[in-house]
Amino acid sequence: MMRKMIQILALTVVLLALGTRASVYATNRADHENSGVAVETGEFHGKVHKTSGRATIYQAKDGKLVLRLTHFATSNGPNLRVVLVAAADADDDANFLKTNTERVDLGALKGNQGDQNYEVPAGTDLGKFKTVSIFCERFNANFGAAPLQKL
Amino acid sequence: MKFGVPSRLKGRKWILATIGVPILAVAWWVFRPEKLWTNATVNEPSPFLESTDPQPLYTGLLVGAAHKASGRASIYGAADGKQYLRLTDFTTLNGPDVHVLLGRSDDQSLRQDVATGRLDSVELGPLKGNAGDQTYNLPASVDFDRYNTVLIYCERFHVVFGAAKLERF
Repeated sequence: MMRKMIQILALTVVLLALGTRASVYATNRADHENSGVAVETGEFHGKVHKTSGRATIYQAKDGKLVLRLTHFATSNGPNLRVVLVAAADADDDANFLKTNTERVDLGALKGNQGDQNYEVPAGTDLGKFKTVSIFCERFNANFGAAPLQKL
Repeated sequence: MKFGVPSRLKGRKWILATIGVPILAVAWWVFRPEKLWTNATVNEPSPFLESTDPQPLYTGLLVGAAHKASGRASIYGAADGKQYLRLTDFTTLNGPDVHVLLGRSDDQSLRQDVATGRLDSVELGPLKGNAGDQTYNLPASVDFDRYNTVLIYCERFHVVFGAAKLERF
């Protein structure tokens, strides 16, 4: 009985692992805007969870803001979010809940590697939210941060 | 009894199974250990691929060398293939015959205080101002793998005011 349970459990884990992988390959294409310029950029740093790449904020003609990650890589983890934080930069061990840092959630991290786009909510004050963070909500862990500077 | 297990163990196994399996499942959900060896790779196109505005290709922050220099240097590419350098938030010391060059980060003559004059570089023109945003046209087809550094360079005294190592966008 026990052995059967373990077999079923193992099978479930394998299937779920394959499932998450497959679903990510169905990448979603962002809507194409006609015109936009890069307004801010910064490079990722992160040592505990090796994070690298570039974060750039683009502004479309209609004022819409898009965050784009390029050459991006971090370690995969549970429940990772892309957030903008109201800080000039974020340390590797930053805990935004403990420090009560204001955040703007841009959604779940689409992939731990590769180029990807995130919509920034209209009216977000880029003068205040100056750092992009890859944030593990479950463990309040900052995987990596990119301080943004004017381009 | 089929497995020949003593009856006092049979009950315990059931308890183990009913408690242990959910705990394992929850622990898996919390830690998602399989993510340690699986990667999720995405490859979304730029949302502004069809943009008619010039797009940034390379950028870097200026670091002062012989003099103080700060700001950002970025290479932009226009839709018609033209490329140009733009300095933003830029400030350095005013000086005689200061030029903007593209040089190589591995150039040995940059290691010295006074560059010997045999600088392998691409000339972009005299510095327009020692402070403020400014734009310089680039010659066609610059090899940015080779010329990967923007230099603010005093030609008269062969002194590098500041340098910005370019990184890809």
